[in-house]
Amino acid sequence: MNKLILILTLGLASCGTVVPVKQKFPEVPPMLMTKCPQLDTITDDSASLINMLKVVVKNYSTYYQCAVVTDGWQEWYQIQKIISNEVNK
Amino acid sequence: MWQITWMLSVLPNWFWTLLFFSGVVALGASTFIKLYAVPLKIGGFAAVAISIWFLGAASNEEKWQARVRELEAKVAAAEVKSNQANTVIEEKVITKTKVVKEKGEQIIQYINRDVVKSEEVIKYVERCPAIPKEIIDAHNAAAMMNQAAGGKK
Repeated sequence: MNKLILILTLGLASCGTVVPVKQKFPEVPPMLMTKCPQLDTITDDSASLINMLKVVVKNYSTYYQCAVVTDGWQEWYQIQKIISNEVNK
Repeated sequence: MWQITWMLSVLPNWFWTLLFFSGVVALGASTFIKLYAVPLKIGGFAAVAISIWFLGAASNEEKWQARVRELEAKVAAAEVKSNQANTVIEEKVITKTKVVKEKGEQIIQYINRDVVKSEEVIKYVERCPAIPKEIIDAHNAAAMMNQAAGGKK
């Protein structure tokens, strides 16, 4: 009787199946993979206020261009998370 | 165990249905044919039990195959949606980067065109032609502070 129970249990255990469907990790737009550039420094020791101002403006521009990419990453993650959750629902 | 089950599951479904009804007929016949009552009962019971097992397995397999098809469709739809989202994000990043870059260039042009000609600025630059080295060093140190955090590029 015990052997019969064991055989039936083993037989039923085979009914538990893992669905063999794999979800591919979503591709990231290549432009989001670019690293933020290094900020500019003032190379001239006797730089004027105007030159310094130009470097500062250029650095602000660099920062905001990098921020756009970071925002893109955040948006990408949020959208991909929603899409992934829909599949696993 | 599973190898035997797999080999038998290759047989078509109609075979198990036929076996099931044959088993039922054999069990029914065992009450009328007294001479072969015992073999018919044993054979009929075995046929019914085995056929029910494999009909159940086939039904279970069909259920999982349906689930696989459903998930494959969902994954394919998700890939399409993901690619569409990537296109939208890419366009947004390109547009925003272009706007920021152009705005920066416009400000540099404004400095070259108007700021340098401002009387107040001209007077100031005449009084202080060069920025003290300490200020430049402090600015440069701030611009390279990521290197201290191991972010050297």
